[in-house]
Amino acid sequence: MTYAVYLPLILPALLAVAARRAGDRLGPRNGAVGLTLAGICAAAATVWALALLALTLFDDLPSMSARAPGLPEPVPDWVALTAAAAIILAAGSAVQDLHQRRSPVRLLRSDQAAAGDVVMAADDEPLAVALPGRPGRILLTTGMVRLLGPRERSAVLAHERAHLTHRHHLLMATAGAAAAINPLLRPVRDSVAYLIERWADEEAATELGDRDLVARAVAKAALATTDRTPALGVHGGVVVRRVRALRCPPRPVTGRTMAALVVTAATAVAAAIIATSDFVVLLHTWLVA
Amino acid sequence: MEAKRRPRGALESEVMAALWAAGKPLSPADVQATLGGGLAYNTVQTILIRLMDKELVRRAAQGRGHIYWPVLDAATTAADRMRAALDARPDRQAVLQQFAAGLGAEDAEVLRALLDERTS
Repeated sequence: MTYAVYLPLILPALLAVAARRAGDRLGPRNGAVGLTLAGICAAAATVWALALLALTLFDDLPSMSARAPGLPEPVPDWVALTAAAAIILAAGSAVQDLHQRRSPVRLLRSDQAAAGDVVMAADDEPLAVALPGRPGRILLTTGMVRLLGPRERSAVLAHERAHLTHRHHLLMATAGAAAAINPLLRPVRDSVAYLIERWADEEAATELGDRDLVARAVAKAALATTDRTPALGVHGGVVVRRVRALRCPPRPVTGRTMAALVVTAATAVAAAIIATSDFVVLLHTWLVA
Repeated sequence: MEAKRRPRGALESEVMAALWAAGKPLSPADVQATLGGGLAYNTVQTILIRLMDKELVRRAAQGRGHIYWPVLDAATTAADRMRAALDARPDRQAVLQQFAAGLGAEDAEVLRALLDERTS
C-alpha cells in the first residue's frame, strides 16, 4: 500500500484551513451547503481509508497464514489495529453527536397548542430556538419578546422560520457527524454553524426588507444573554461577525473558492480510490499466493 | 421597503408575542396599534378568538369590547420543559442553534459600539 491510504486522513486539515475564508467568500447558502458536502466527502474518505488499513489484518487470519506463510505485509500490524480502533471510535462519536443534537429538540418539542408556529415559554432568559419536526415549531421565551420591539420580534421569527424552511438542522447534523468522525473537520463544522446563522439572517433581512433591523435584533439578543451563558469565544465572535455582515454585506466571490473546496474534497476521494486499487492488488497477491 | 404580506400562522404568533410582551391585558385595538403594518381590526379580533379557542388566551369584558391576556399555564409547562432540557447541558451552544447567545466581554464592547454607530 502506498501513501495514498493516509491522504484522506490528513487532507481534511486543508479543508479546515479553507473553511473560514470559504465561508465568507461563498456567501451563506453556497458556503453552508458546499462546506457540508466537502466535509461529508472528507469524512467518508477518512472512514474508508481507515477500513482499508484495518483490513490489512486479513493476512493474519490463522487460515491465511497457515495456507501461505510469508505473505506481503503492507502496513505494520499496529497501524492496522490503530485504524480498526479509530473506526470504532469515529462511529461511536458520530452516533453520540447526532444523539446530542436531537435529544434537546425532542425534549423541547411539546404537544401543546402553538400560536401559529410559536410555543411560548414563561422564562426570563431571552431565548429563541427553532425546533425542527412536523410541523416545525419555534420556542420563544417571554424574556425574548419583552426584550425586543414588535418589528425586531418579527425579525427573530423570520430568522427561526428560515432555519425550519431550509432544514438547516440536517446540514448541521451532517457537518457535526463529519467533525465527530474526523476531528480535523471541526473548523468546517463551526463554519457551517456560522453560515447557517448568516443564511437565516439574510432571509429575515429580505423578508422584512430591513438589514439594520435584523442586525439590531441579533445584537440586542446577544447582549442580553451575555451575563447568563458562559462566554464562548467562538460563538461570541460569530455574533459580531453576523452583525458586521448585516451592516456591510460582503460581496461573495464564488468561482475560485468553490473550486478550491471541490478540489480538496475530490483529492480526498481520489486518494481513497487509489488506496482501494492498491488494496485490490494486495488482495490479489494474497489470494493467488 | 415595504415588508411582504404576512401569512396567517405568522400573524397568530406575532399577536401572541405582542400579548406576552405587553405584560398587561390588551384590547384588539391595542394589539393592532402595537403590530402596525396595516392590519385590519377584524383580522386582529379573529386571531385573538382563534388563540382563545386554543386556550392560549383569555379575555374579559371591558367597556363595549374585550381585553385579552395570555394564559400562563401552557407557557409555564413549556418553560419547565425548557429548563429541564437546557440546564442539564453546560455545552448547549454546541448542540442547540440558539438565536444569539454567549458573548465574551470584548465582543459585547464591539457590539455596543456597532449599535451606537447605528442609532447615532
